[in-house]
Amino acid sequence: MKEEFTPRIIYFLCNWCGSGGSETAAAHHLYYPENVIISRVNCTGSLSTVQMLRPLIEGADGVVISGCHPGDCHYNDGNFRARRRVALVKSILSTLGLEPERIWFRYVAHSEGRRFVDTAVEFNDHIKKLGPNPLKSRRDT
Amino acid sequence: MSPRRVGLLPRGKTSGEGISDFLRGMLDRGYFDAALLPMRVPAGDSFAWVLLSGWAAQDRSLLSAAAPFAPVMPVQGAKSLSSITRQGKSTQRIVAVMRPCEWRAAVELSKLQQLDLANIFVITYDCPGVVPLSDWLADPSGAKQLWERALEDWQGEGMRPLCQICDRFSMVDQAGSPPDLHIGLLGRGDGRPLLLAGSRWGEELLEECEVAPEEEIKDWEEWVREATLRRREKRRKTFRELSSQVKGYDKLLQTFGKCINCHNCMRACPLCHCRQCYFESSALKLDPQNYIRRAERKGGLKLPPDTLLFHLGRMSHIALSCLSCGSCEDACPMSLPVGQVVSLVAQEAQELFDYSPGESMEAALPLVAYKEEELAWAEKPYLETYRAEGRS
Repeated sequence: MKEEFTPRIIYFLCNWCGSGGSETAAAHHLYYPENVIISRVNCTGSLSTVQMLRPLIEGADGVVISGCHPGDCHYNDGNFRARRRVALVKSILSTLGLEPERIWFRYVAHSEGRRFVDTAVEFNDHIKKLGPNPLKSRRDT
Repeated sequence: MSPRRVGLLPRGKTSGEGISDFLRGMLDRGYFDAALLPMRVPAGDSFAWVLLSGWAAQDRSLLSAAAPFAPVMPVQGAKSLSSITRQGKSTQRIVAVMRPCEWRAAVELSKLQQLDLANIFVITYDCPGVVPLSDWLADPSGAKQLWERALEDWQGEGMRPLCQICDRFSMVDQAGSPPDLHIGLLGRGDGRPLLLAGSRWGEELLEECEVAPEEEIKDWEEWVREATLRRREKRRKTFRELSSQVKGYDKLLQTFGKCINCHNCMRACPLCHCRQCYFESSALKLDPQNYIRRAERKGGLKLPPDTLLFHLGRMSHIALSCLSCGSCEDACPMSLPVGQVVSLVAQEAQELFDYSPGESMEAALPLVAYKEEELAWAEKPYLETYRAEGRS
């Protein structure tokens, strides 16, 4: 029987809302797939484009980013800046035909534990459908 | 650009000599303290940017080595200007002769706070393109002929690939921040080149030097617009072909497969300005175990590592300000089409943010500004009803 593909997923959460969401999820005993690796950043606005690209080249199948809802950013405009960077990276990837859909950006608030878990699960299913990221197994990157 | 005042360049044997004489006049009168322009190197086989002091310019033999219209671009002019004014504004009045892409790069660098345009008087000119450095080194006289032909027919044959498809080689459509003075060469034939003042300072200079006024610029504008349309068509065609050659995992990795990680493209780029480049920082210098693990996972690891990360990362850093000058491509020892790929990516990214680099000093850099309502497509909307597969 063919082994089922388990994607490797990096989930960047901002320090304020995103990881708050994961705490709420924990308080409610909500579970998300174990292959989703969580990385906390101070603000989604502090994520550089290279930090989004690097996991995709070095072994991740997908990258998902969650920060505060518009207007809720702890630093006022970090999430708006993040959205511009995500759009830029997606534009570069699509121009070069490199599957921009491997990057997701979705707001998750501190109280939205359910939404955090749903995002992890939904993205996991989405990447399973897409299949493994070709770059992670290429020697010539 | 709607010029504030138009004049005719005083007569010289060639337009290059005309502008040299004009500059000498300015320096002699003390209107400027120094000039920044490409000069023939003493050996005569290349050109270098020189900040020429006013007193030295009186020495005629010195200024005769000046080549304001050099056929090659060994260093992008904005980079030279940035090396003078990175730490603050110039205390002397400097006149700089630059190509349109160099002026636009200077505008971008000034917005990035890497260059100060105060006290700098910039003269640009209709640019026929530049010969690739490798072609110049292989056959200087042939290259010079090619360049002279390009100056006559404006077809760009034999110029850098990006010069051949450059649609911003003049200043006709520069709405926001025109240079102080622009020299209109296109379509002037045997007539004298036009001097178009773009700023108050440029206007004053034309008045003070009693440059013969000229009213008729419609012809020049039409010539430029026509040539621009031709180039734009060629650009679309070239990018369509390029896209089919580089798009997709296999093709992209094949394109960059020859890369030797010398980072010359980054060093030659006028816009790469970080004092510590991420790709040369300790963030990418890791313990042996890291490389061994990566090799295990991939079955092998190309060394030095992170070639694709460097190229994609560099694109993400400069795409929004890229002027398609082609300096990166000229500097590539492996002749990769790196400038063309960056330009292709840059064009899409700039369209996305409706940003035209170097066009206006006022327009904010896209990654610094934001709007509350925009780019909804980049977000993934939440479906309340999402049910994981295989779960109830």
